[in-house]
Amino acid sequence: MLKGFGNILVKEIKELVRDPKILLGMIVVPLIMFPVLGGIMGYSVQSAREQAEKATIVVVNNDRGNWSEHFMEYLNSSMTVSIVNDTTLDSYTVLRLLSDYNTTQLIEIPNGFNANITEYKNGNTRINATVNFYGVFSGGGIFQEVGSAIIDNLVNNVNRKIAPNAVYTFKSTIIKGEIQKNVDPSTISRLMLSQAIAMPITIMVLLTYSMSIAATSVAMEKEEKTLETLLTLPMDRFAILMGKLSGSILVAAVGAVAYMIGFNYYMGSFTSSLGATLDLVSLGLVPSVFGYLLLGISLFVTLLSALALAVIMSAFSEDVRSAQSLVGNITPIIIIPALVLMYVDVNSLPLALKIFIYALPFSHPIIAAKGVVIGDYWTVVLGIIYVAVFTLVILYAASRLFATEKILTAKLKFRWLRKRAKKPTKELQ
Amino acid sequence: MSLGVEAIDIVKVFGDIHALDGLSFSVKPTEIFGLIGPNGAGKTTALRVVSTLLLPTSGNVKIFGIDVVQEAAKVRKIIAYLPEEAGTYRNLSGWEYLEFMAEFNTKDKNETREMAKEAAEITGLAERLKDKTKTYSKGMKRRLLVARALMNKPKLAILDEPTSGLDVLHAYHVREIIKRYVKEHGVTVLLSSHNMLEVEHLCDRVALLNKGKIVAEGKPQELKENFASANLEEVFAKVVGLA
Repeated sequence: MLKGFGNILVKEIKELVRDPKILLGMIVVPLIMFPVLGGIMGYSVQSAREQAEKATIVVVNNDRGNWSEHFMEYLNSSMTVSIVNDTTLDSYTVLRLLSDYNTTQLIEIPNGFNANITEYKNGNTRINATVNFYGVFSGGGIFQEVGSAIIDNLVNNVNRKIAPNAVYTFKSTIIKGEIQKNVDPSTISRLMLSQAIAMPITIMVLLTYSMSIAATSVAMEKEEKTLETLLTLPMDRFAILMGKLSGSILVAAVGAVAYMIGFNYYMGSFTSSLGATLDLVSLGLVPSVFGYLLLGISLFVTLLSALALAVIMSAFSEDVRSAQSLVGNITPIIIIPALVLMYVDVNSLPLALKIFIYALPFSHPIIAAKGVVIGDYWTVVLGIIYVAVFTLVILYAASRLFATEKILTAKLKFRWLRKRAKKPTKELQ
Repeated sequence: MSLGVEAIDIVKVFGDIHALDGLSFSVKPTEIFGLIGPNGAGKTTALRVVSTLLLPTSGNVKIFGIDVVQEAAKVRKIIAYLPEEAGTYRNLSGWEYLEFMAEFNTKDKNETREMAKEAAEITGLAERLKDKTKTYSKGMKRRLLVARALMNKPKLAILDEPTSGLDVLHAYHVREIIKRYVKEHGVTVLLSSHNMLEVEHLCDRVALLNKGKIVAEGKPQELKENFASANLEEVFAKVVGLA
């Protein structure tokens, strides 16, 4: 065996195990984070799936023939249906019925359905029977297209029983209260899903990268032994905090602008790749200038809150390395909302999870990105207000920390797990 | 006229440790006063309390009549503090560092420049001031930091182990800076050192600190005479019962 290897190994293990930040980051966080993440993800996906499958569909039966009754039986056996008879459908009526029955899917068996099938079965294959399907696009999530897929399955089954291609589905999507004819909700969902996956990843990267930069700000002063000198200079201590934060904000602002440019390009690439078949601009699925502005603000305040949090955490570190590992411990609260919102729409989550996701400030730019696409500006604005308040609270806490000797003496200790905190330190005037 | 420093019965407790245990001393204006004692005696803690970095658990400290707790911001306008292990900003040049620090004392660009120039003179680093401080030796950094502490002619300069870790030549240079500056500008100095021989030659009066308390105080010559010792090291050993 290598001479001295055992000695070095024992020393290394002692040093690593005795550093609470490493212990927390390498062992405790993964042990807690992954089960929590797995639990949340599993629960979210399961509940979103159940909700999508349990969804009610409004069936407007304007044809009272045998085949339409037959079709109704299929529908009834596959999903929960609310039946409305003999109602002429226009845009207003479709929206009213969806609202009255509190659902997002409607299918119409139009007048002539029975006659057309009969014709088809008699050999006139140029005539198809059509059912009209309307689905509301509500912002994405992998189960958005479940309703549309169920209808497709149903129609296929019916066709198998009657004759191939006897029944055809004419699909329309309701986007921001407007009926877009001949647009399949599942196509839109699949399209927006790729956006729903890319956006959280980008935001996650931007947040963790910015926090990592900000974390070094105070820790670097401690490591280089310049903080003590700074704290005795004739200046407002809050200016130190704001100066450090402003530097990080500039980085964050550049990051936010770069993000917005990238996002704009990303959205543009969809529009052009789809060509004439599906124009996202005309469907209203590209954010307006106001939407972009709101998204930018949402991203900016979230970055600001993350940076303030990183600065305050780095004050508890003695050097840059420990600051980085300490800030790394809050990565789960960035990753969890990003992963959850990647797969499911926040509104389809159970109440407790919904509150949890909304409570995390880092969820809001992801929610905002969806919100500005579907025109749900209120959610975005409320999110911005919430994150701004959260940021102010963090800034206030940071300013208190800078006003006391804690900025010099604060360290992360495991002792706080065993002992109750002493009285708070008085503030220097 | 108020005393330069008036510390009365300072206690500072960190958890279970009593770093300062009823420390009292006073420094007269334009005096060089040394707190001396072994490592862990409480010197740095005492200087940190005086320089508004730490709050005393109990007791009072006034700098030229201004309370360090109640009016910390006012105190910071008339003091300069040099921590024992102070560092510089690695990617700033020596000159940039001095300018950066001078800007905290005056808003006037010309004054800033003059202050930095004077500090540059004090350092004796000449052309090396154009280089980034990460290229400096420990002695060069310390000279830069001492110059920074003295450049705004503070009423009270608080210097924690000003020559700690320096070789003979650099230590001599730093001591000369302090002596000259005090003489020329009437600055009051409160310094700490565990090098008792050095302090003997630099300080007008000294206080021997042990376990957070002052065990003897006076002019170096008086202390040596009173304890019939050849130097302050012997005095200290006798006071704490080691000799």
